[in-house]
Amino acid sequence: MSDIGSRPALLDAAGLGKRYGGIVANDGIDIRLDQGQALGVIGPNGAGKSTLVGLLGGAIAPSEGTIRFEGQDITTWPACERARRGIGRTYQIPRPFLDMTVAENLAVGQFSISPFISAGSAQAERRQILERCGLRDAAEMKAKDLPLLRRKRLELARALALKPKLLLLDEVGAGLIDSEVTELIALIRSLQDGTRAIIIIEHVIRIVKECCADLMVINFGKVLTKGRTADVLASDEVGAVYLGTSHGRAGRPPQAATPAAAPKAPTPTTPLLTLERVSAGYGQARVLHDLSLSAIPGQVVGILGTNGAGKTTLAHVISRALPVTAGKIRFDGDDITDWPAHAVAARGIAHCMEGRRIFASLSVEENLLVAARDVGAADRKRRLERVYGLFPILAERRNAGGTSMSGGQQQALAIGRALMAKPRLVIFDEISLGLAPVMMDRLYEALAALKREGLTMLVVEQDVERALDIADIAHIINKGRITLSGPAATVRNDERLRHLYFGTEE
Amino acid sequence: MTATLSSPGRPGTTSLDRRAIAGAAAGGLAFGLLMLAPALLSTYFVEIGFKLLLYIVLAEAWNLLAGYGGLVSLGTSSFFGLGAYVTAGLLNQSGMGLPLALGVSALAGMTIALFMSRGLFRLRGLYFTVGTLALAEALRLLVVNVPWFGGASGLFVTVDLPDTPELFRFAAGLLALATAVMTLATGSRFSVLLRAVRDDEDAASQVGVRAFRIKLAAFLAASALVAMAGGLQAAKLGAIEPYGSFGMQWSIDPLAIVIIGGLGMRLGAVIGGAFFVAIGELLADYPELHVAITGVVLILLIRFAPRGLCGLAQALIKRRSAPGATREAGA
Repeated sequence: MSDIGSRPALLDAAGLGKRYGGIVANDGIDIRLDQGQALGVIGPNGAGKSTLVGLLGGAIAPSEGTIRFEGQDITTWPACERARRGIGRTYQIPRPFLDMTVAENLAVGQFSISPFISAGSAQAERRQILERCGLRDAAEMKAKDLPLLRRKRLELARALALKPKLLLLDEVGAGLIDSEVTELIALIRSLQDGTRAIIIIEHVIRIVKECCADLMVINFGKVLTKGRTADVLASDEVGAVYLGTSHGRAGRPPQAATPAAAPKAPTPTTPLLTLERVSAGYGQARVLHDLSLSAIPGQVVGILGTNGAGKTTLAHVISRALPVTAGKIRFDGDDITDWPAHAVAARGIAHCMEGRRIFASLSVEENLLVAARDVGAADRKRRLERVYGLFPILAERRNAGGTSMSGGQQQALAIGRALMAKPRLVIFDEISLGLAPVMMDRLYEALAALKREGLTMLVVEQDVERALDIADIAHIINKGRITLSGPAATVRNDERLRHLYFGTEE
Repeated sequence: MTATLSSPGRPGTTSLDRRAIAGAAAGGLAFGLLMLAPALLSTYFVEIGFKLLLYIVLAEAWNLLAGYGGLVSLGTSSFFGLGAYVTAGLLNQSGMGLPLALGVSALAGMTIALFMSRGLFRLRGLYFTVGTLALAEALRLLVVNVPWFGGASGLFVTVDLPDTPELFRFAAGLLALATAVMTLATGSRFSVLLRAVRDDEDAASQVGVRAFRIKLAAFLAASALVAMAGGLQAAKLGAIEPYGSFGMQWSIDPLAIVIIGGLGMRLGAVIGGAFFVAIGELLADYPELHVAITGVVLILLIRFAPRGLCGLAQALIKRRSAPGATREAGA
C-alpha cells in the first residue's frame, strides 16, 4: 500500500479536535491510514484516546478538522452511516445489547447493513466470528450473563460482524493474561489480511508492539510523537509520560522478592478473615469449590489466576454480595456467612469492585462521602483528607462528576471510596484493569503506603508481577480451587505459576 | 426475550418456518372462534369481550413500543382520542362506513406520529415518556378549547352504528391485525434491530442501525393500532368527549396490563389483558377496591416477577424442565 497519491487513503483525518467548553479532549490530530495498515495509539489515561475513537466512529462530533473515508468527506456523518460505510468500533467499557443473545448481538450489524442476507450465510458468518473470538459456546447466552472479559470479546465480535474496512479497537486487551494476549494478537493478525485498516488503542504494549507497524502517542489530547513502533517505544519522552517503571520490564525473568515483599516476622496472630471450605456459584454453575484461606491482620494476600478462575467470585463471596452454597466465612471472630452485605461492610470489610462502579450522578467528593454516611463530621473530614492525601488528583477534581474523570482517576476514586469506610480489610479487585502502566505504578504506590500503615488487604490481580510485589502470601486459583499457595517469593519462582499464565498448564 | 413464539437468536431457521406455519394456523383458528363468539355468548360476555379485545390491542401496541422498543409512552390516550374524534367526525360528516373511517383514523394517527417523531425522538428514556404525556395533554386541551369538535361537552355520532356483536367482530379483526403487526415486528429481523435500539441506542448506531427509522416504524405501527381502537370505542359509545376519549386511563391501563402480563413478552398483552379485565369485572361493584387491588398486584409483580405473569410462567417451566442439570456447568 505504498502508492499514496494515486488513490485516496482509506482514512484521512486532518486537524481533528474536540473541545468540551474549555476542556480540550483532542487537538490537531492527523491520521492517515491505507488499507492493510495498523496504527497503535497509546497514551496515559485521560489523554483523549477514547475521544479519538468517538470522533472517528461518529459518536462524537468534532469541533474542528475533517475526516475523509475512501476519499469522501464524512465529518458530519452520524455514527450509523459511518458504520454502514465500513467503520467498526468497540467500546472500552463493553456496551453489548444486554437483553439479547450473543448471536443476536452479532445479527444486529448483519441485518442493519444487509437486511436481505440469506439466513444460512448470516448464521455461518456469525458462527465463524464467534469461533474466532472464542465465544462459540456462548452463542445462545444472553449478553447480560457474560462476565466482563467475555463482553469485551463480544465487543470485538460485534464489530467484526459489520465486516469493517476500518476497525477501531479500544482497549480490547485490557485484563487479559499473557496466554490470552497471545490469542488476541493472533486474532488481530488474522484480521490484517490487507483488506482493512486497524487502529488499536491499547495499554497492553505487547499488542501494539506485535500488531502495529506504526505507533502514535497521545498526551493531553495532542500527538506527542508518532513513528515506527519500535522507535517510539524506545524514546525517553514516551518512557517518561507513559511507560513509567515498567519500561523495559517486559522480558524480566521471575526475580527474587523485592524488599517490600519480604515476609514479615512470623507473628502468630489470630486471623482476621477465614474462609473454610467455601463453595459458591451463580445459579446452576458452581464457580468456587471447597476453598479455604485466611488473612492475619496487616497481611496482604494476593489472589492470582486466569480469567474465569473464580477470583472475582471469591471477592464477591467475602463481601457477601454473593451467597455461599457451602462452608463458613469468619471475620474478626464472627461467623459472617449469612450476614447481609451492608452488615459486613459496617463490620469493616470494604470491597473495591472490578469495573470501578463509580456513581455517575454524584461528584467525586459525594462518591467518597457515600461510604462514610454515619460518621461524625470531624471524623469524616479526617478521612476525606487522608484519601486526598493519598490521591491529590481527587482533591483537585472534588467537584467534578464521578465518571467525568479518566479511567485512572476513577480507579483512584474507587480505592478512596473503599477507604472512606475506615475498613479493617479491603478487597481490591483488578484495580489495574485498563490502566496505563504509569497509572498502575501510582495506584500500587498508594497500596504500598496503605500496607505500611498496617491495613489488611486482599489483592485480586491479573498483573502477576505487581501483585507479587506487594503481597505477603499468594494463592493461585484455578477453576475455582486453590492450586498453589505460599509466600509471595516462593510462588513467584514456582514453575506452576508460569505454566498457568503461559497457558501450558493442563 | 423473543419469548415463547420465536426461537431466540436464530432468526430464520427452518424450525422457525415450521413454527410460523403452526402459529398462523393457531391464530387463524382463534380468529375464527372469535368471529363466531358473539353468536354464542350472552350479551354480557360480548360486552366484556369487546372491552377485552380493545384493551389487548392497546396493550399490544404499548408493548411494541415499551417492551421491544424501549419507548415508554404515556401518550396512548392522544392517539386513542385522535382516532375517536376522526372516526366520529367522518361518520357524521362524510357518510363513509365504519371500516373506511377506521382506516382514515389509522392514517391520521400515523401522520401525527410522524409529525411528532422529530421532536419526541430527541428525548430519551424518561424524557421521552414526559414528552408523550405532554402531547396527550396538549391534544386534550386543544379539543376542549377549540369550538369545532363540540368543545368540552363533545359530540354524538348521528348516524346508525353497528350493534355490539358486530363491533365485537370489528375488534376481533383489529386484534388480528395487531397480532400480525406484532408477529412481524417481534419475530423478524426488524425485531433484532428494534431490540438493539432498546438495549443501547448509541451502540446500535455504531453497528449501522438507523435508530431513528427503526423507532419511527414502531411508533407508526403502534399509533395506527391505537387510533383504530379509539375509533372503535367511539363507535361503541356513539359519542366522543375530550375527558373520556383523551382520558389518562387509556394511557395507564395498557401500561398496567403489559406490566402484569409481561413487558417485552409476546403473550404479555393477552395474559395481562385477560387478568386486568377479569379483576375489573369481578370487582365492578367495588371500584375503590378494584383500583387498590390492581395497585397491589402491580407492586407485587414488579417486586417479585418483573417480567410479569408470562415471565413467571417461563421461569417455572424452565426450572421444572432442567432439575438434573445442576452442578455440571461450574466444574
